[in-house]
Amino acid sequence: MSIKLENIWFRYPRSERWTLEGISITFREGEISVIIGPNGSGKTTLLKIASLLYKPSKGSVKLWGRDFWTLDKAERISFRRRLVYIHEKPILLKGTALYNIAYPLLLRGFPRDDALELGRRLLEKFDISSLADKPASTLSAGEAQLTSILRAVAVNPRFLFLDEPLAHLDLKKRSLVTSMMKELAKRGAGLVVATHDYSLAYSISDRVVLLEEGRIAAEGGVAEIFKRKA
Amino acid sequence: MLSEVLEITIRSITVSGAATLLASLWGIPIAYSISRSQRLSTILMPVFEAIVGLPTVLVGLILYILLSSRGPLGVLKLLYTPYAIIIGQAILVTPLLVSTSFRVLYHAQEVYGELALTLGATDRQVMHLVLIESFPGLLVSMIMSFSRALGELGVALMVGGNIRGYTRVITTAIALEVSRGEFELALILGAILVAFLIAFSLSLRVLRRMQAI
Repeated sequence: MSIKLENIWFRYPRSERWTLEGISITFREGEISVIIGPNGSGKTTLLKIASLLYKPSKGSVKLWGRDFWTLDKAERISFRRRLVYIHEKPILLKGTALYNIAYPLLLRGFPRDDALELGRRLLEKFDISSLADKPASTLSAGEAQLTSILRAVAVNPRFLFLDEPLAHLDLKKRSLVTSMMKELAKRGAGLVVATHDYSLAYSISDRVVLLEEGRIAAEGGVAEIFKRKA
Repeated sequence: MLSEVLEITIRSITVSGAATLLASLWGIPIAYSISRSQRLSTILMPVFEAIVGLPTVLVGLILYILLSSRGPLGVLKLLYTPYAIIIGQAILVTPLLVSTSFRVLYHAQEVYGELALTLGATDRQVMHLVLIESFPGLLVSMIMSFSRALGELGVALMVGGNIRGYTRVITTAIALEVSRGEFELALILGAILVAFLIAFSLSLRVLRRMQAI
């Protein structure tokens, strides 16, 4: 079970520069892949293409063997519902943290009470029930990030794409999110994490991908990549 | 005099309010459709932005030609009725409404549209979320359009005819009273108009602050 990117080229509208040039890579379930690279190397763009938010200018994205961008609308939604992208700067909806966590379940047709109950259970599980009734606009950056991660976890995705997941978190929340990520991978989800944070790469990655100027400069085990970089 | 001023004020608000709602019926869907397409926004937005300042007398003239008894829409017998003013003002404010709504919706598409997609929303659910999250901004667009409609003279004069007790609105009443040399009434009406515009401007600020929260 995998997401396979084949010879991906991507250029933003009105840009003359290719952001990604000929990327081919496969992400697998149960594996944590960490994408590292300098600013502007194309990490976020790669994540958004792999998570089916951006359509590549050239190349194909194959999920479980099917070319996503050739599928019809209903099939695309069905595939999109198996993976979630988490933005670097958390985007929350008007309403409470609990409503935000329940929201993707509501989109999938869960009865409101059931969705909220599931959300409550998730908050309890990670010992942050105090956030439940807080309006999203009053959450700290770290709390907002946790809420957006729980919102993704709520739908039990097969793949989770996280852009700088620890960026706004204090030490306690960093360790909470790190253990959340490990647990998700243990449960069989594929995680793809874009980060500048090398310590995160060391602590969670099964595989590191080094991106430079829109190309894969190196790929392999964490020790191997950092040894090569050093 | 006071009852006439009140009647004119109420008519102005009703007519311009109806015009804004009518323009919103087509303006917001147009803006939403454009906000979803890079190509459409590149082609159409410069056009809408260019005609935001369309002279009101030009809209009035075109509508007069269309609605006059010999015009193609003459059979509707709308000329010199409040409905003609409503249609004219709705057309007049459409470019402003589309341009300002587009900005709000474009931003919301980028942020909430993408979020809804990744959370597994259908096209309809994406639209629902984008519109809900854009609501304060869309309300700001509607209030701006309402202010423009309330303060315009050309359309109301040319297709409304400034008929006392029927199509007379604040701006046409001011024009009439000035031409008669009745400056006192004109100034009272002018003050009411300005008071409304200031009130709407203040409500815009409050809404913008709400949107920022």
